Amino acid sequence: MRRMLVPGLFDDYAVAPGTFDELFEASGTARSHFLRMFAMLAGRSAEEFARIQALAERALLNQGVTFSVYSDSRGTEKIFPFCLIPRIVSSVDWMRLERGLEQRTRALGLFLDDVYGPQRMLAERPELRDIVLGTKLYLPQLRHVRPPGGVRIHVAGIDLIRDERGTFRVLEDNLRTPSGVSYVMENRIISKRVMPEIFEQARIRQVDHYPARLAETLRAVSPEDPEHSTLVVLTPGPYNSAYFEHSFLARTMGVELVQPADLFVERDQVFVRTTRGPRRVHVIYRRIDDAFLDPEAFRPDSLLGVRGLMRAYAAGNVALANAPGNGVADDKAVYAFVPEMIRFYLSEEPLLEQVPTYVCARRQERDYVVDHLEQLVVKAVDEAGGYGMLMGPQSTPEAREEFRARILAEPRKYVAQPRVELSTCPTWDAGKGRVAPRRVDLRPYILTGPQGPWVLPGGLSRVALREGSYVVNSSQGGGSKDTWVQREVA
Amino acid sequence: MIARVAELCFWLGRYLERAESTARVLQVTGTLALDAGLAPEQCWRPVLAVFGERLRFASRGASAAEDDGEQVQRFMVWDEDNPSSIQASVAAARENARAIREVVSIECWEVINELFLWMRGEEAKEEYAHHRYGFYRHVRRSVQLCLGLLRSTMLHDTPLDFIWTGVLLERAGQTARVLDVHHHAFSQLPSGHQVVETSLWLSLLRACSGFEPFMKRHQGRVTGNAVAAFLLFEQEFPRSLRYCLKSAHKYLIEFHPPGTQGLPGAETVALSTRLLERLQPTALSAPGATVHGLLTQVVEDTGALCDILAAEFFGAARALGSQAMAQ
Repeated sequence: MRRMLVPGLFDDYAVAPGTFDELFEASGTARSHFLRMFAMLAGRSAEEFARIQALAERALLNQGVTFSVYSDSRGTEKIFPFCLIPRIVSSVDWMRLERGLEQRTRALGLFLDDVYGPQRMLAERPELRDIVLGTKLYLPQLRHVRPPGGVRIHVAGIDLIRDERGTFRVLEDNLRTPSGVSYVMENRIISKRVMPEIFEQARIRQVDHYPARLAETLRAVSPEDPEHSTLVVLTPGPYNSAYFEHSFLARTMGVELVQPADLFVERDQVFVRTTRGPRRVHVIYRRIDDAFLDPEAFRPDSLLGVRGLMRAYAAGNVALANAPGNGVADDKAVYAFVPEMIRFYLSEEPLLEQVPTYVCARRQERDYVVDHLEQLVVKAVDEAGGYGMLMGPQSTPEAREEFRARILAEPRKYVAQPRVELSTCPTWDAGKGRVAPRRVDLRPYILTGPQGPWVLPGGLSRVALREGSYVVNSSQGGGSKDTWVQREVA
Repeated sequence: MIARVAELCFWLGRYLERAESTARVLQVTGTLALDAGLAPEQCWRPVLAVFGERLRFASRGASAAEDDGEQVQRFMVWDEDNPSSIQASVAAARENARAIREVVSIECWEVINELFLWMRGEEAKEEYAHHRYGFYRHVRRSVQLCLGLLRSTMLHDTPLDFIWTGVLLERAGQTARVLDVHHHAFSQLPSGHQVVETSLWLSLLRACSGFEPFMKRHQGRVTGNAVAAFLLFEQEFPRSLRYCLKSAHKYLIEFHPPGTQGLPGAETVALSTRLLERLQPTALSAPGATVHGLLTQVVEDTGALCDILAAEFFGAARALGSQAMAQ
């Protein structure tokens, strides 16, 4: 099907030169896996599309699918910007990703077991030892503590990007409290509601069983009989920017959403305060950072947290998801070693590519980085959400000078990567009233129970809404798309 | 259920009921002012008294404006610092519902959220300016829809019981105050205006959504004492004090079934039982008994009941300080 023959939405669409487009070939032809729904979407005019896009946004606002904006004292909430044009992943691509993600999650889990256990890999790799044990994300007090059920990475959100040749590459491993899965499901509900005919044509794998799978995964690691275990979601409270997601997860799993003050610990067991007195809690899906979990263990100055929680955890009386201390494995410097972990623990070759990474803690790599700043993206290892970054190719000489000094002063704090040209996806530009290519990434979600990992067929596609931007984080003005994983053709 | 969540449920019920009640009283008073032949202050001053907001209103430098229906309405609809205003009640209901999104059914949450967004948007201001009746109707219907949805879409379990206890106790307080203020005001009017007087009692019934139910019971015979007795004691009218307090009592017994030990709620049940005993139809036939005297007592007891409930179930420190009591 030639584009020029079909009037409508994609008429003016031009693939950005030198990038891989998720839906169109460089020649401007729709990719074969996209053809089935292409005609239906393309047949819409910009006006028609603007109408259903507005409908979708209205629905999200009415449903309160929002995140809080901290800077606003009136507690305004905004919807996470959302583009109805989905990002489609073919079944072939997905099967490859799925295997790679399972492999990676398994290796990262074994690495964590090792780091908090015998430290075999560190013994063989002294330079890795310094990097790993040197990060504040490593919690030495948890050495030799085995988590109930033996699982550490119950929920992983592994960020992927696609380079200019269309190869998926891991950008970041999120093994602490990866968020966004509620938007995956809410976006899907809205897609189905406002464009049912297109959705029907596209043959998409479902995502709505995620909460049930999550509950099952979490119950499976309970120190007591899973059938008679109490599972709760632990949130910092309604003022947290991800509160919508916390309540979404509790609601869809049918479990209680608790705040730290609702819990207390007695005889190394965790209880929740109810209107009928205390009740024992066995599994906590916590959405609070390690540092704020237990003032007794981590931050004596903190009023937050549940005093004694880590004692109960160490005694094996409560399961925490994700396991405290996981941050050491998603540290941006440790990331560079994941392919080696896969070889070391699994004796397999990595199935997923990642982005080449220069670890400034290593002398040779540091020298290369400070000499090539204008070609590299520099990241501070302990910052997230797009903060503490230098985008070399777009930076000013002053900014590069500043980063050079920072790197030389504290090399352990920085890593650098060549800039990868992120793939683009046709995205609605409300300002211009037309569709334009915008950069995207992809965060699939991987659940791991005692039986091993499982990948949700879908994920959060984040999109840089501004023209030319590479920044997809919601905190920096990014938006999201529904990710449509296609069914295998029988 | 979690004690903190129980508290939020209770207050969600109260704020929802309060928003509806404020809208209803303002709507009815607006209609009354049109045809009762009363001076504006006889219509609007009681409204402020009903919600206990005369002082706050005066502190706005607007005491002379108590006669001015527009100023009273603006204060009771839009003033965000007035805890009885519709705007503040809707915002508070929505904030509580948001904090317990995992408890409130999705249908109900959407109605609350849409009402909140509507109040914040241009549409509501427009409706308020050009179609006041429609504005109040929108608020009332949204809340009533929500109260209906709560019962038809949620488990009939402890969380809903706490929401409903909040609705009932708020409703009892509202009926008591509306009745007290109006009964007092109307009884002071010079007698002889049969038509005016009747229409006043009818407006009081309408302010409590009790016009048609009253007529069904009394078949057209309207007197001040009959109206007062109806709003106080009618067993089958869902806004009478006795009905509200008796229904709330049933929930309180659910929370603390007779004979249980070690569960919180014993004092709450005891106080509620005493309150119901006091609220017998015979209470008005005692020598020296007046509607005002009885109501004063009931309002005080209801307030005390809320305090004890908070102390027993929500944990005293949080509950008594954390939410402004508008009584």
